[in-house]
Amino acid sequence: MSVTNNADASRMRTVFFSILFVLLSLLAFSFPAHAQQNDAALNAALSDLNARSFKAKTAAVQALGVYGDARAVAALEALSEGRLYGRKSDKSVVIAERDGKIYRLTDPATGVSAGEATSRELKKIIANNKLRGLIRGVLGQLALSSSDSELRRAAVENVISSPTGGSLALLKSARDRETEDDIRARLETGIATLELGSDDPALRRAAVDRLADGNDPEIKSLLERRLLKNADGSFVESDAQVRAEVQEAVSRINDRLALFGLAEDLIFGISLGSVLLLAAIGLAVTFGVMGVINMAHGEMIMLGAYTTFVVQEVFRVTMPAEAFGFYLLAAIPAAFLVAATFGILIERGCIRFLYGRPLETLLATWGVSLILQQMVRSLFGANNREVANPDWISGAISIGGGVSVTVSRVYIVIFCLVVVAALAAFIRYSRFGLQMRAVTQNRGMASAMGIRTGQVDALTFALGSGIAGVAGVALSQISNVSPNLGQNFIVDSFMVVVFGGVGSLWGTIVGAFGLGIVNKFLEPVSGAILGKVVVLVIIILFIQKRPRGLFALKGRAAEG
Amino acid sequence: MPFAGGFNVSMSEPVPLNKPAQSILYLEGVSVSFDGFKALNSLNLIIRRGEMRAIIGPNGAGKTTMMDIVTGKTRPDTGRVLFGEDTNLTHLDEAEIANLGIGRKFQKPTVFESLTVFENLYLALKSGRRIRETLFARMRGEQQARIESYLETIRLTERRDDLGGDLSHGQKQWLEIGMLLAQEPELMLLDEPVAGMSDAETEQTAILLEEISRDHSLVVVEHDMEFVRDLDCVVSVLHEGSVIAEGSMDVVQADPRVIEVYLGR
Amino acid sequence: MGPISRRLFALESRSGWIAIAILLVIGLFIVPALNLMVPEGSLFHISTFWVATLGKYLCFAILALALDLIWGYAGILSLGHGAFFGLGGYAMGMYMMRQIGDRSVYGNPDLPDFMVFLNWDSLPWYWWGFDQFWFAALMVVLVPGLLAFVFGWLAFRSRITGVYFSIISQAMVFAIMLAFFRNETGFGGNNGLTDFKDILGFNLSQDSTKVGLYVVTTIALLLVYMICRAVVSSKLGRLLIAVRDAESRVRFLGYSVTNAKLFVFTLSAVLAGVAGALYVPQVGIINPGEFTPAKSIEMAIWVAVGGRGTLFGAIVGAFTINGARTYLTGVAPEVWLFFLGALFILVTLVMPQGLVGVYRSIRSGELKDAIRRRIQRVDV
Repeated sequence: MSVTNNADASRMRTVFFSILFVLLSLLAFSFPAHAQQNDAALNAALSDLNARSFKAKTAAVQALGVYGDARAVAALEALSEGRLYGRKSDKSVVIAERDGKIYRLTDPATGVSAGEATSRELKKIIANNKLRGLIRGVLGQLALSSSDSELRRAAVENVISSPTGGSLALLKSARDRETEDDIRARLETGIATLELGSDDPALRRAAVDRLADGNDPEIKSLLERRLLKNADGSFVESDAQVRAEVQEAVSRINDRLALFGLAEDLIFGISLGSVLLLAAIGLAVTFGVMGVINMAHGEMIMLGAYTTFVVQEVFRVTMPAEAFGFYLLAAIPAAFLVAATFGILIERGCIRFLYGRPLETLLATWGVSLILQQMVRSLFGANNREVANPDWISGAISIGGGVSVTVSRVYIVIFCLVVVAALAAFIRYSRFGLQMRAVTQNRGMASAMGIRTGQVDALTFALGSGIAGVAGVALSQISNVSPNLGQNFIVDSFMVVVFGGVGSLWGTIVGAFGLGIVNKFLEPVSGAILGKVVVLVIIILFIQKRPRGLFALKGRAAEG
Repeated sequence: MPFAGGFNVSMSEPVPLNKPAQSILYLEGVSVSFDGFKALNSLNLIIRRGEMRAIIGPNGAGKTTMMDIVTGKTRPDTGRVLFGEDTNLTHLDEAEIANLGIGRKFQKPTVFESLTVFENLYLALKSGRRIRETLFARMRGEQQARIESYLETIRLTERRDDLGGDLSHGQKQWLEIGMLLAQEPELMLLDEPVAGMSDAETEQTAILLEEISRDHSLVVVEHDMEFVRDLDCVVSVLHEGSVIAEGSMDVVQADPRVIEVYLGR
Repeated sequence: MGPISRRLFALESRSGWIAIAILLVIGLFIVPALNLMVPEGSLFHISTFWVATLGKYLCFAILALALDLIWGYAGILSLGHGAFFGLGGYAMGMYMMRQIGDRSVYGNPDLPDFMVFLNWDSLPWYWWGFDQFWFAALMVVLVPGLLAFVFGWLAFRSRITGVYFSIISQAMVFAIMLAFFRNETGFGGNNGLTDFKDILGFNLSQDSTKVGLYVVTTIALLLVYMICRAVVSSKLGRLLIAVRDAESRVRFLGYSVTNAKLFVFTLSAVLAGVAGALYVPQVGIINPGEFTPAKSIEMAIWVAVGGRGTLFGAIVGAFTINGARTYLTGVAPEVWLFFLGALFILVTLVMPQGLVGVYRSIRSGELKDAIRRRIQRVDV
C-alpha cells in the first residue's frame, strides 16, 4: 500500500507471518492424516527450494502452497527472511539460527534440531523480491483456503488489516472459492478496501458503492481518509465524482452507525430494565399490593443468590459433570422456597404487628435486613462467592451484525418476562390471587366472607419474598454474590415501584424498562454514575408531576 | 327568583344562572369525574348568607365530593364555585380557602390526638397563620378567654387538659365543631356531624348547631333523617352528582323522584 | 396563666434546668479537667481518645436532635439526613483542606493533593472562598439549608408524605453518594478529604485543640437544644404535632402545611450540617461513606431508641447507640449488626416511645390513670 513506509511494511509482514504461522500450526494439528499423505511431495518440494534457478524455486514454493502445512510455513518464512540454508554435506535444506560463531540447525520438515554447523558448511538459499511476494501470497492462500471456517475467517481479517501487494488477487480468488456468506461478505469488504487504492477511478467508485453498505467504523475512517487533502493541497481522492460518492457513502455509514448505536442503547437498556424489574417485582407485591415497606427485600434477593451458590456446590459434589450445568434450574425452586420461608418468618414475627404503621415497618424490616446480612456474612464469609455461568448461558451473540450481547443477559430478559407473566397470571387466575386481591381491597369484607386474612397476608408476603429469591438466582449470574448484594438493589427497586405507581404491576414493568432505557441513553452523555444520579433527580422531579407514579389509582379510593 | 320565596323548586332542570345578591356560596355547573365515574354532574347549588342548609342523598350521591370541591381538596373539571360576592374558589388551595372564611368538619372526626383539647382550639383560633407568626406567638389573655368560651359552647370545659385522642367519638365531633367555631368562619361545612353519636348526643348537637347557625352560614350533610328534620331548614337532595329536589323536609319527602331514589331500588 | 399555657411557654421546668446545668458542668469543666489536669497514669484521667470520642457522640446528638425535630414532632421520617450532615462536614473539610497549603505530600500550595494527582491545573470554582473560615462556616449552614429547602419544597409542595418521602429522601442521599464517589466531582472521590493540619491556626494533632473542639461541640449541643426547645414549645411546635396527627385538618384550619414542613425541614438540615462540620475536625476525615443510605437510616434508630418526640430522648439515644457501637465493635464486631438489627425490630415492636417512654412509665407507675396519657403525650 502506498500509505505505509518500508519499516512499517516489514513490521506488518512479520506480524502477519507469525499470525499465519500460529494459524497454520493449528491447521496442521487438526489434520494429521492429510499431512502424512503429502509427506513425500512436501519433502520433494522442500529440497527443490535449494535448486539453483529461481524458476525451480518458484515451482517449489508453489508446490508447497498446494501440499503445504505448518512445516511448509516454517520453511517459506525462513526463505523469505534469509534464514533458509542448504547443507553442503547432504544437500538437505535446513533452517539456521546464528548463535555466536556457529549456526543451530532445524529440520523444516520435522521441526526438530538438526545439529550445528559452521558458516562454511552452509550455503544460503537466496530469495529475490519476486519470490518473496509469491511466498506471501502462498502463505495467505494456505490460510484462506483452510477447510476450517474459523481459520479462514481469521485469515481474512488478517489480510484485510495488513494488506500487501498480492492481497487483492488473493482475496478475489478466496472470494470465488468461499462458501460461507459472512466470510464472503468480509472478503468483498476487503476487496473493496483494496480497490479503493486502485488507479482506476471506475474501480474506486465501484468499491465505494460496495463499502457504503457496511457499518464498520474502520471502513468509515478509511473512506474519510479519501476525503482529506495531501500535503500539497490536492485531494487524496483525485476524482471529484468519486469524492462525492465517498462523501455520500460516509454519511450513509454514519446514519447506519447512529442507528446501531440507538439499537445498542435500547438493547442494553432493556437488559438493565429487566434486571431492575427482577429486583423490583417482588417489591411490587409486598409494597405495591400489601403496602408493606420491606427494607429487607434486597436481602431476599441476596438469599436467593446464596441459595444458588449452595445448590451449585451440592451439584458439584453429588452430580456427574454433564448435569452440573443444570444446577441453575434446580436453584430456582430452591431459592423461591428459601426466600419465601424467610418471608413468612419476617411477616409472622414482625411485620404483622406493624400493619398501618408504615414508618415503623420500614425501620423494623431494616433491622431484619441488617441481621440477615450479618447472618450470611457469618455463615459464608464477607468475600464474594463464585457462582459459575453454566455453558448454556455463556458466550455472546451478535444481533444485526452490529450489537453483541452476552447470552446470560438475553436469558435474564426472557426469564424476567416469564417470571412477571407467571406472577400476573397467578394473581389474576388463581384462587389465592383472588383472596389476595380481596384482602387488599377490603380487609373487613374479606374477613367477613371467611377469608383468613392473616394467612393471606403471610402468604402474600411469602410470594413477594420468594419472587425476590428467584430474582437472586438470575442476578447471581451477572452480579457479585456477596452479603451486600441486596443493598445494591434496594434503592433502585424502590425507585422503580414508586416511579411506576404503587399497586400497579404494569406500572412496575413500564417503570423498570423505562428507567433502564433512560439510564443507558444517558450513560454516553453523562457517564455511568452521573447517569444514575441524573435518573434519580429525574424521578424526584417526576414525582412532582405525578406524586403517585405513572400508573396511579385516582380518586377517593387512592386517598385511603 | 325562586330562592327568594318558596322553597319548592325542582332543580333537575337547568336553573337560571343569575346569582342572587346575598349568596355566600354559589356552585354552577360543577362536574368532576374520577376514572370515568362522574362524582358530580353539572351540580348547581346556592347557599344564602346566614342560611342553614341540609344536604341529603344516598351513598355516592356526591355529597362529600361537593365539599371537597368547595374546600379546595378536589379541583372541578368544569363549573364555577364562588364564595361571597365574587371570590373564585377553583384555583385556591385548602389553606387559602380556609382563610377566606370557610370551615369544614370531616365525615370522620379529625382532631389532633396528641394535643390537648385546649391546644386543639388554640391552633384553630383565628390569628396569624404564617409560620413566622406561629414561631413567635404568645397567647394573650383575651385569646384564652375566647378558648374558654368555646369550651363552654361545645361542653368540653371539664376535659380541656385531656388529649384529643382520649375523647369519646361524640366529644371528638364536638371538639371539631368547636375548632370550626374558633376559626370564626363565615361558612361552615359539616359532614355528618352526628354520625356515631348516641341519641342524647345527637339531640345536644342539634341544639348546638341551631345556636351556631344564628351567626354563621351552615351546610350540613347528614344521613340521619330525624336529625335533619330537627334542624328545620331547607333540604337539598343530591343524587348521582346533581340536586334533584330542594325544599323543606316535608316537601322533599313527598317528591316522587326522591322517593324513587331512596326506596325505588 | 393556666397549666396549658405554662407548658406552652415556660421553656424549662426547674428540675430540667438543674439537669441541664449538671450536664453542662460535667461536659464543659469536669471532662476537660480530667483530661488536661489529671496525670495520665491516674484512675481519673480521661484519655484524649475518649474526649474525642465523646466529642463525636456530641455531634451525633446534635444530628439526632435535628432528626427528632422533623420525625418526632412533624412526623417526617427523613432517610437522607446523612446528606446534610455530610455536606456540612465537606464544607468544613474543604476549609481545612485549604489550610494545609504546601504542607501536603505534593507540596502544591494552590491545589489539594488529590487535584494534583488528577492533573488538575487550577482550583474548581466551587472551591473558591473556602480558604476563609467565615466563608466555610457560612457554607456549612447554607449548602445543607439550600438543598433541604429545594428538596423539601419539591416534595412537600406535591404532598409527598410518609414512606414516599422517606424513600425519596433515601434516593437523594444515594444520588449524592454516587456523585461524591466520582473523582471528577472534585471532592476527593473515594478517599474524601483528610490529612488536615490545623483549624483556625490550632494544630489538630494537639490534645488542647481536641479538648477545645470538644468544648465547642458541647456548647453547640446546648445551643441546638435550646433552639429545638424554642421551636417545639412554640405554637409552631403544636402546629408540627398537629401536622403529624392530621395533616389535612391543619390545611382546613388555614395553615400552610408546606411552609410549616419546609421551615422545620430546612432548620433540621442546617443543624445537621453544623453537626457534620463539628464532626469532621474531630475525626480527621470526611468521605462519601457518610452518604451511604445505611448511615442515614441508622440515625433514625438513635432517635427511636431514645424516644422520639422528646428532645432529651434523641440525645440519650445518640449516646446509647454510639456508645454500644464503640463497645461492641471493639469486643465482638460480628455481633454489632445483629445487635443493631435486633434493636431496630425491638424498639419498633415493644418500646415505641423509646427509653424516655420506658422511664416515664416506670416513674409514673403509681398514677395509674395518667400512664396511658403521659406515654402518648408528646412532652418536651
